[in-house]
Amino acid sequence: MSAGTVVFIILAGAVLVVLLYLVITFNALVALRNQIKNAWSQIEVQLKRRHDLIPNLVEVAKGYMAHERQTLENVTRARAQASGAKTVPDISRAETALSSALGQFLAVVENYPDLKANQNFLALQEELTSTENRIAFSRQAYNDQVLFMNNKVEMFPSNIVAGMFHFRKGQFFELEEQGERAAPRVSFG
Amino acid sequence: MFWSVIAANRRKTVLLIVLMGLLLVLSGGMIGMAFADVYHPYAGLIGTALAGAVWIIMLLTSLFASDTILLGLSRAHEIDRKTYPQLFNVVEEMVIAGSLPAMPRVFVVDDPAPNAFAMGKSPEKSCICVTAGLLAMCTRDELQGVVAHEISHILNRDVLYMTVAATMLGSILLLSDIFARSFRYSSTVRLASRSRRTGGRAAGPLLIVSLVLAVIGPILARVLYFSISRRREYLADATSARLTRYPEGLASALQKIGESTDMLTSAPSATAPFYIVNPYRQHLSNSVFATHPPLEERIRILRAMSRGAGYLDYFRAYVEVTHRREKLIPASELRDEGRVEIRKGGQAGGPVQPARPESTRRAGDIIRALNGFAFITCPCGLKIKLPPEYREGRFVCPRCRREHPVNRPDSESVGSVLSASAVMGRAASAGGKEPRNRGGREGRDGLPTREVRYLPGTWQKITCTGCGHAYEISPRFRARRLTCSGCGAAIPLAPVHEPDGRSSGLPA
Repeated sequence: MSAGTVVFIILAGAVLVVLLYLVITFNALVALRNQIKNAWSQIEVQLKRRHDLIPNLVEVAKGYMAHERQTLENVTRARAQASGAKTVPDISRAETALSSALGQFLAVVENYPDLKANQNFLALQEELTSTENRIAFSRQAYNDQVLFMNNKVEMFPSNIVAGMFHFRKGQFFELEEQGERAAPRVSFG
Repeated sequence: MFWSVIAANRRKTVLLIVLMGLLLVLSGGMIGMAFADVYHPYAGLIGTALAGAVWIIMLLTSLFASDTILLGLSRAHEIDRKTYPQLFNVVEEMVIAGSLPAMPRVFVVDDPAPNAFAMGKSPEKSCICVTAGLLAMCTRDELQGVVAHEISHILNRDVLYMTVAATMLGSILLLSDIFARSFRYSSTVRLASRSRRTGGRAAGPLLIVSLVLAVIGPILARVLYFSISRRREYLADATSARLTRYPEGLASALQKIGESTDMLTSAPSATAPFYIVNPYRQHLSNSVFATHPPLEERIRILRAMSRGAGYLDYFRAYVEVTHRREKLIPASELRDEGRVEIRKGGQAGGPVQPARPESTRRAGDIIRALNGFAFITCPCGLKIKLPPEYREGRFVCPRCRREHPVNRPDSESVGSVLSASAVMGRAASAGGKEPRNRGGREGRDGLPTREVRYLPGTWQKITCTGCGHAYEISPRFRARRLTCSGCGAAIPLAPVHEPDGRSSGLPA
């Protein structure tokens, strides 16, 4: 075997390894992108579920808390805004507002023992709790996937493959809880 | 991340299972070779093939029938969203959290002992089963923790691995048993003939090896099997904490399960590793033969997760509590896990069912009645509940030594237990709503107290409306008033002659 053949074999091997890596990484990225899409559609399903639930909740509550028109209107308005939102940051903002309106509503409900004892309301409340949990859990799953994707897109060497095929970083879906982000931030800028 | 942790654990389990398989092949071969010159020169190979065949037959039967067998044995019935909305919701939430490809079927076992298990060979086709006792005593958070634990068993394909491992264990035990028996009957003859023919060269060491294997093999196989089982319990706890972001939920559920004195009557012993806690209380809970890690240890690990709910946090807590250096989760898989915040407990607005001892006991009685328990009410006031396994015709009251005949319940007596516990529950809840006054002065001063209704002819509980002191009154009691020994008040009693409404009051 001449030196040329050896070099050729080594080169061919190296090219093969690189190609193999390319294919594997590309497929992993595509799988991740699809998983993110899937996780996002799961979030949308749950948000829709929440939007469908709210009119029923307001309807049941109306009979008991006529004096709390402001609270009920806030919930209805926040719901209308949330179901109109399109982009991820818009949806994040609108859903945060809806969560806070719902939180106020549930706090007010505490003052109406008759309403709290209503079987329909209890069933709706269980559904609402469950829906809130589902939103939280699907958001959790979505953000996990996005983090994984972003790591791949940013880290060497998978970032080369991602750059070649225009894989972009995903956007986290954040729902801020009221009052939780109030901790002071120290800047060393 | 999440999936790579599961994949890494899968590799480890596969390694352990391969070890068990090797053990199986080895014991088959050795047993074959021990009989080598009696039967066939290739006996070693034949033995191995036989061992493999035994295992494959056992594996196939258990893979195809285990769901049906276990669900049937534990008398589980399938439920839907309408009958148990909260349980169904909690399962759906966890399916979302774990990104399970399909919703598992949900079953409930009418058993007062709190426990749960998951079945199913793949995440696509699985089922989750909880007992009525668990539903009666858990809050929403706790139920979520338990369901998440079961979901992670499904995610990890634990049922598949445990079935493979269990059948291997079974085959090894079977083979070594056959070997030991045949050896005992004919050892002297065979030994003599063998050493004569081979001139005592190869037979000696080979025989010793196969003997050792026959003794060590089953023990080693058991240790391997139980270590797989325990490792998977830890991982399911870790995954449960990560899915719910709330380790305290599972911790307090495990605590309640551990404190419960009810034993699962419907669990076959072979299925113990499938349950969230071993239905058979173990004496060797810390030994290498335990299917589950000790409950206190699992609770302490979960409660030690103060910094977050991720795998890394569970692993840290694990090392902190057990001081074991064993790598539960490979550290390389934990690198890119971000910070996983613990969420706040007490799920907002959820109708958390408080664990009321009276209603829990009532639910337990109803379930016991349905499960064929015999109820004896001794005149000394002790209520005796005999499990269907008690076969004697008589039973001596442990308090007053009276002898009672044991009548096995028929449908009529089951009905009477149901209505009696319904009445009892109503009396208790009526008493519970009254403001309690421990001082008792008002009672002695003869303040008017509300009438308490009772049903003559049955044992029932009466609660003093003044101080909350509880009494058991006998079926022979007919009086219109009772002087409370706690506060001295006279409790007016109103005998009712027909239990109003024969609602069974089955737990929803």
